[in-house]
Amino acid sequence: MPIRNPFRRQPSTTARRRILPFLATAAVTAVALSACSAPTTAPRGPEFFDWSDVQVAADGQTVKLWMWGGDDQGNAYVDDVLAPAAAAQGVTLERVPIADTKDALNRVFTELQAGRTTDGAVDLVWINGDNFRTGKQADAWLCDWTGLLPNMAAVSDTDPLLTEDFGTPVDGCEAPWHKAQFSFVYNSATVPNPPTTIEGILEWAEANPGRFTYPAAPDFTGSAFLRSVLYSESGGHENVPSAYSDEAFDELSPALFDRLEALTPSLWREGSTYPATSEQLTKLYADGEIDMMMTYGPATLTALVENGTLPDTTRVLTVDDGTLGNASFFGIPSNSGNIAGAMVVANEALSVEQQVAKADPTVWGQFTVLDLDALSTADRALFEALPQSPVVPSFDVLSRNANPELSAEWVPALDEAWRTRIAAGQ
Amino acid sequence: MTAVPTVTTVTTPLAPGPARPRRRQLRAALLVLPAVIPVAIVVIGGVGATLLQSLGLMPLVGAAELSTAAFDDTDELLTSALLSLSIAVVSTAIAAVVGFFTAVLIISGNWGGRIVTVLSAAAVTVPHLVGAATVGLLLSDSGVLARLFGISPDAWPALVAGPTWFAVIAEYAWKESAFIALIIVGTLATRITSYDEAAAVLGAHRSARLRLVLFPLAAPSLLVASAIAFAYTLGSYEVAWMLGATYPEPLSVMALRLFNTASLTARPEAAAIGVITVVLTAAVVGAAMLGLRRMRAWR
Amino acid sequence: MTLSTSNVDMERAQREQRERRMPGDAGRPLSQSRGVMRTARIVSTVLVALWFALPFLPLVLWSFANSWSAPDVLPMSVGTDGLTAAIANGAVAAFGDSLLLSLIVAAIATPVGAMAARALSRHGLPFGRLVSVLLFSPVLLPPFAAVLGINVVLLRAWVPPEIGVILVLVVVAIPYTTFSMLVAYAAYDDGFDEAARTLGATSRFALWRIHLPLIAPALARSAFLAFLVGWSDYLVTLVVGGGQLVTLPLIIASSASGIGNESSVAVLSLSAVIPPLILLGLVSRARNLNPGRQS
Repeated sequence: MPIRNPFRRQPSTTARRRILPFLATAAVTAVALSACSAPTTAPRGPEFFDWSDVQVAADGQTVKLWMWGGDDQGNAYVDDVLAPAAAAQGVTLERVPIADTKDALNRVFTELQAGRTTDGAVDLVWINGDNFRTGKQADAWLCDWTGLLPNMAAVSDTDPLLTEDFGTPVDGCEAPWHKAQFSFVYNSATVPNPPTTIEGILEWAEANPGRFTYPAAPDFTGSAFLRSVLYSESGGHENVPSAYSDEAFDELSPALFDRLEALTPSLWREGSTYPATSEQLTKLYADGEIDMMMTYGPATLTALVENGTLPDTTRVLTVDDGTLGNASFFGIPSNSGNIAGAMVVANEALSVEQQVAKADPTVWGQFTVLDLDALSTADRALFEALPQSPVVPSFDVLSRNANPELSAEWVPALDEAWRTRIAAGQ
Repeated sequence: MTAVPTVTTVTTPLAPGPARPRRRQLRAALLVLPAVIPVAIVVIGGVGATLLQSLGLMPLVGAAELSTAAFDDTDELLTSALLSLSIAVVSTAIAAVVGFFTAVLIISGNWGGRIVTVLSAAAVTVPHLVGAATVGLLLSDSGVLARLFGISPDAWPALVAGPTWFAVIAEYAWKESAFIALIIVGTLATRITSYDEAAAVLGAHRSARLRLVLFPLAAPSLLVASAIAFAYTLGSYEVAWMLGATYPEPLSVMALRLFNTASLTARPEAAAIGVITVVLTAAVVGAAMLGLRRMRAWR
Repeated sequence: MTLSTSNVDMERAQREQRERRMPGDAGRPLSQSRGVMRTARIVSTVLVALWFALPFLPLVLWSFANSWSAPDVLPMSVGTDGLTAAIANGAVAAFGDSLLLSLIVAAIATPVGAMAARALSRHGLPFGRLVSVLLFSPVLLPPFAAVLGINVVLLRAWVPPEIGVILVLVVVAIPYTTFSMLVAYAAYDDGFDEAARTLGATSRFALWRIHLPLIAPALARSAFLAFLVGWSDYLVTLVVGGGQLVTLPLIIASSASGIGNESSVAVLSLSAVIPPLILLGLVSRARNLNPGRQS
């Protein structure tokens, strides 16, 4: 049959030299383009004298905001509320929807690796915690710029949630956007007497086999659950030093993993597998396979209950030992080509109007980063007039006894140990 | 047509003269160059840069230093490589069998063939990411099938994220069987009728025609399409990440996790897994292609 | 005066053309199966149809579901919330971007692959085997490795992101187009071209009036495969494109990574199936165009 095999030997010829030199050239060029050591990227500071400089430079710029696109409310808020406000100041805001914030970071890293230090494709990223720290390690963030933002005046400069991001000093390298509180969520129809402590939750899980699980580390939520149990097993967050050290890890982590090991047989599917993401965990809860779950983004719960994804008996559990709290931020990559425009957007996002709109549970329900005591009475009244979510308590209630986040070095150490000890069952 | 074309003696790529081999070679080289240039840039650049990263020569921070440390964790790599290979082999085998019979049904050209044509074509167009999402919705503990049969989540077998990797294999087999069918139909369509008719006229039985005419005609395409499916299955990560179990993890999922990990030092390890995946795929596909040459030689 | 053959030959050619069977054509089986064989054929057809159709079931059901929780067998409330959410997410613009990108990729990869296949299918290409291996090699590259490595190269060479995406996707598509054209050329009879040239046709005339019409169906199939490469890509578009191109898979992936978006993801996914299906319908209509047709 005359079907030609592409790998079949062709008759040798005399003109072979035409292709080989070409291939060699292509190869050498390609490798030469990639093979250099990391370009030195000294952190870039802002080149602006004051805010009016920024505004002048920003006029007419298009800012690409890379943000996780899995939250329709968040997408709609940015497209319909934040973008028009930015447009009014001459800045076009375009949202790049991504499935994982790491995609944005990796894009920036690759650009820096390739020596592209002034015309990056990413102008603004919604980040926090480990992404911020990883970027800071690689000098990927623009620093010392938040001081220029006029709206930073209403942000407390002593609030530990906003001056440190997972133990990494913020240093003006990111502007706060909203606060979040790690929350346990339960179905009040199937859990009539919910536990009131973290240890209580674990005991409840053991008393109700198969009705509880947590996302596999290194998922953000799963990883936060590990830190919560670490605090609980160590007798409170005061007993865990925020700065990472091997000694502290060796001293404190065995109790955590012994406890989780004991818990494993009582988990969903006997702990033989774990949801890969916090969304998969929420899906298990939505389908009634588990009765309790956790989230670092309680803001979205209201809408999920309203549109019927989650049962309307869903409630947020407030625990006596308190839960982890953090804030999320806007970062500007050091190689962004539209720094001024990005700063205008970050500043606008911190305005009272934007923060109030965003805190409305029917819009997005994200907790404000503004210091309410520093606001005028009229502005404060705007926040107080916001409708109360039937599912999520107010931030005051939720953040009672809030635990600080550990420094970001703890995160990979705990994640890795969890993989070898719990997931691999070694 | 209005004018009488004048007779010329210029040889063209389309009507080569018997002589002048050098000229023919030059023309052939020119024809192939637009494909070779971009492929060479992308493949050599891609593999080269991945290799350099795996050897620590393209660090994100710090100085470049040659090191093979990224290839060291052999135990875990071996487990992952075996898992990746098993998933790829099983799903490709299923896809090859289903794909071949689908192609036969399509070629047979009756009403059933038409339905199968449309459905398999629809399956080819679905991105794997969507395929994984929909297979997840179909097979999970409280998925559409479990609901249809009225089976409670506890009683439903652990198809998604279970120890058998059932959902992952099912998704790859589903998508790739449609792809393999499409390729085989493309090959057979142009010529099958005449051979099949000849065989039928000569009195060959249905099954004999399948075995002696259809299969040999389809075999090279089947092999090449299966090799492509295999390579894809080994290299892609979305499906195994969305539908697979937490531990152990296939190579591609491991690479992605390390690439996205909080510490920058893990990136060479991710690149190393990329290199290993390329080598593994090349070995298996190379063996398949040698098999193809054997097949040709034998016939 | 034309090249065309006698009326008798024309009729024969037309009859042959009608009889040439293409994928999707209803053929005329020479022997109708009966009894057991017939049952077996029907059963296997149903099974194969089910195999391909089943994964679409959740998509179809979810597309019209405003809310649907376990253990309800069917959606609890039916509506178009999914469609509304998909449009709000920028689905229309993404649809346009996807279509444009895929058509460009197909428009480049198809002729390039056909030319390469033509060169490979005839002896005389220097280093033919090496070239074959090279052109097939993009298949072996895991997408993440390609993107991990190639993006640094492209950025360092200051290739604009849109061009970079097209370049990488064309390369990914070349093995498919080359292979499918290789198969077509293996069955191609050079006699047609030679006859035309012998009868005095210019090379351009032979190419446009004889050669291309004869390989049109194979070209259409190649173009379809290349189109699919652009149509379903996520990683390259995102990482190499750097956010310049927001295609349908990008929207689908980011929506699918959230919770409670099943119905908009389902609408997006089903709408993503339609353009390639239309294209395939056109492809399967492509016939060996009548060589030497009057213009």
